[in-house]
Amino acid sequence: MSTTGGRRPGGEHEVRGLVFRDDGEAETEPEPEPRPPSPARAGRRISRQKLTLLPALLIAVLLATWLWFRQAELDPVSENALSDGRVSKALWQHVELTVISTFFVLIIAIPLGVLLTRAAFRKATPVAMALANTGQATPAIGLLALLVIWLGIGRRAALIGIIVYAVLPVLSNTIAGLKANDPTLLEAARGIGMSPLGVLTRVELPLAVPLILAGVRTALVLNVGTATLATFGGGGGLGVLITTGITNQRMPVLVLGSILTVALALLVDWLASLAELLLRPRGLEVGT
Amino acid sequence: MNFWEYLGSRHQQLLADAYQHASAVFQCMVVATVLGVLIGVAAYRSEWAGNLATTATSTVLTVPALAMIGLLVPVVGLGVAPTVTALTLYGLLPVVRNAIVGLRGVDPALVDAARGIGMSGPARLLRVELPLAWPPILTGVRVATQMLMGIAAIAAYASGPGLGNEIFRGIASLGSKNALNQVLAGTLGIIVLALLFDAVYVLIGRLTIPRGIRG
Repeated sequence: MSTTGGRRPGGEHEVRGLVFRDDGEAETEPEPEPRPPSPARAGRRISRQKLTLLPALLIAVLLATWLWFRQAELDPVSENALSDGRVSKALWQHVELTVISTFFVLIIAIPLGVLLTRAAFRKATPVAMALANTGQATPAIGLLALLVIWLGIGRRAALIGIIVYAVLPVLSNTIAGLKANDPTLLEAARGIGMSPLGVLTRVELPLAVPLILAGVRTALVLNVGTATLATFGGGGGLGVLITTGITNQRMPVLVLGSILTVALALLVDWLASLAELLLRPRGLEVGT
Repeated sequence: MNFWEYLGSRHQQLLADAYQHASAVFQCMVVATVLGVLIGVAAYRSEWAGNLATTATSTVLTVPALAMIGLLVPVVGLGVAPTVTALTLYGLLPVVRNAIVGLRGVDPALVDAARGIGMSGPARLLRVELPLAWPPILTGVRVATQMLMGIAAIAAYASGPGLGNEIFRGIASLGSKNALNQVLAGTLGIIVLALLFDAVYVLIGRLTIPRGIRG
């Protein structure tokens, strides 16, 4: 986003954090407008409310779905698609796909982001950012289909597709976060005689923790979404229920698959926002 | 048949799909922009309504596209209807969010000055606040459009229009010789469309952002 247009309008800083679907900062960080000096606390209170609201809502929706299914009469096709623990298997596969892919996204994207902001590689940063921009224009389903053709049907192709799709947003998030660090702080750290490694591990990375956590959240939410497409490459997951429901015109299967996917996505986002709140360095809470 | 031969023999079908893809995204984006700005205007003054609008739209964005389409199919049926509904819903978030942020970011002194020279409420909104908030709104529209390009591809699974059909045809005929060509044509077509739209937005930005606030 940041390199395609030379001229950046005033709202750019609002959008930079939004690598696709991250919006943790919008609620927890103060608006650009000057405010009375307790934005962090106000932000936290709003999040607390949100934190309790969402699980309650999710439980209610899942309970309603369960009750509806208890009394619903299923025809053989739906019965077949939902019996024998197929639902829990799909759910478990989905969670596995999400967790494994997120793990790889993070161990690829964050070190790469750190590397690309070092002086030696700084020239490569615009290239990486341009690549990230093109990557955003690539449809996930197309990427996945290409990988399936290349690597064959199965979980491996699906996993690689999910990882590739999420690496670029997290990478550009990390680069943006490290670049946004106040240069005077880095100068000061160097001034008191810290080694480059010390500056990185004791100043730069702690300062970038909120952004990296936002990256984790972005990756998780993106991956839950992309994992629904894994079914097109034979990778399993909740997408199986959705596609079965659509191709066989069985609404109960379709609705169950969709509701479980939505619930999982919202739950993952909720857990990630919890992590963001808890892991944020204390020193950054006030006055950011 | 290599890729270029494939393009040559199927260009009519591909162009029709590309046109439908672009037109679906464009129309939904126009609706989403209008709705999004209206919601932003209605909500930005109150802390509570603004937060509600942002939270609601960001929750929608957390929902995976395939699941959203899955929930829409029982309600509106297959075909164009779920595609259009899903695209408009997803397009709203970046616009609403940036509209609220942009409108709140307008310097209160400027609004006060407008009031001082006797401008009415609607005039202040139309001639001072919205023009000043336009750059972030436009950025939101750009982000949303790129996202919709990919979502429209997924919507083809529910018999929606566009280049996604090309990709799904390829997936359905995995192993056949044309599978790669079909998937590649669909994917590259969407990338090209996304980049074209992006270029158009840069142009629109040049033309519509008031000269006084260009960076």
